[in-house]
Amino acid sequence: MSDVFQHSLDRISRVRGVQGSMFVAAEDGLAVAQLLMAGVSGKVLAAFAASLARKASGAAAATGAGKVRFVQMQAAGGVLLVALGGELLVAVVADAGVNVGLARLEMIRAVDAAAAL
Amino acid sequence: MADDIRALSAALARDPSSLQYVELAEQLRRRGKMQEAVQVAMYGLGRHPEHADGYDCLARIHADRGELTEARAAWERALAIAPEHGGALRGIGFLFYRQGDAKRAVDALVRAVAADPADEAARRALAVLRGEPVPEPSPALYPEGDTRRKTPADVPQLRATAAALRALEAELAPLPPPPVIPPAPAAAAPPGARAPVFAGLEGATADMLLLDARGLVLAGGLRAADGSDASELAAAALAGVSGEAERTAGYLKVGEWTAIVAEAESANVVLAPVGEGALLMVRREKSTPVGLALRIAERARGAAARWLEEQR
Repeated sequence: MSDVFQHSLDRISRVRGVQGSMFVAAEDGLAVAQLLMAGVSGKVLAAFAASLARKASGAAAATGAGKVRFVQMQAAGGVLLVALGGELLVAVVADAGVNVGLARLEMIRAVDAAAAL
Repeated sequence: MADDIRALSAALARDPSSLQYVELAEQLRRRGKMQEAVQVAMYGLGRHPEHADGYDCLARIHADRGELTEARAAWERALAIAPEHGGALRGIGFLFYRQGDAKRAVDALVRAVAADPADEAARRALAVLRGEPVPEPSPALYPEGDTRRKTPADVPQLRATAAALRALEAELAPLPPPPVIPPAPAAAAPPGARAPVFAGLEGATADMLLLDARGLVLAGGLRAADGSDASELAAAALAGVSGEAERTAGYLKVGEWTAIVAEAESANVVLAPVGEGALLMVRREKSTPVGLALRIAERARGAAARWLEEQR
């Protein structure tokens, strides 16, 4: 199982601009597997990714948009990306100039691979 | 009660997908078995992730444990699923009060009473907060010939909040009279009657919403799938997003957040801060590329910022 996680995180980390990626338990925001550059706090990323995913899911439900699959938060100095699967989600923190489309593809592939375990 | 728990446990073992997990978790909570109660509630919600009653139950357990942040999150989740869930509205009303936000406490309790006019606990708490005479319990709670005063133990809907109400009354007793709360505004203006902030943009009154930091609609509108106006409910649900985004951006040290995009099953939703705590929501069909949705949102944000500036 950990090989699948590590392989997925390796692929995500090859996207230029990605500073860290991790699998997070959606329910409690705890890290399951991670690949982070120095200076990136895994605990912080996991906790806030899960929290933001919950908040965005609630907001989307209130607007009638249905179940959320992917969330991106853009900020002046970087982006937070979250792909939602079943019990796990994949979180990425990256530079503002990251290729979001490419990172998104790898992240959705990762949550699908985790869900298939 | 132990028999109840055994019976409910057996029923749940026979049918793991049963919604009786809520009653079992509630019984465990009342017996003070909080850890088991949480486990049962989480187990049930794992199978029924869109079950508002389950989140309401989980929130009460967290509240009993003093985990108010978790309780609020669970009640908010219940309200995102069922915006008029009486139990969740009442619970979050008490939480707002405990956090010193009397205005939002009153708003939530007003909605709780509207959702369930028989909710005596919410009515009484509302009266206390407004400084009005506390109403006697409804005669409907007293069957004919029954002169015994009903207690929370007799009436399920009172149990969950009776302790909180007693605490609320005790806390309010030594305080000066609360400030006069202005009457609730008349029915919210329909989308077409609001300021035409997004005029010229596609979906100006059906897919774009501008709200303030308190979750009140400023402009635009949001239509539900059946064509009804969902602006007020959506605004209330979106109110906490800005704060969450600010905290997230701060802890991750990525600077000020500029937009959130949520890609969902049937639509993409873009949220963006406009200034002074205002939040813009733009909804676009799933077929609209995310990049285009962001560009549309950027135009809408410009229009909203100009309008807010004019209102100064």
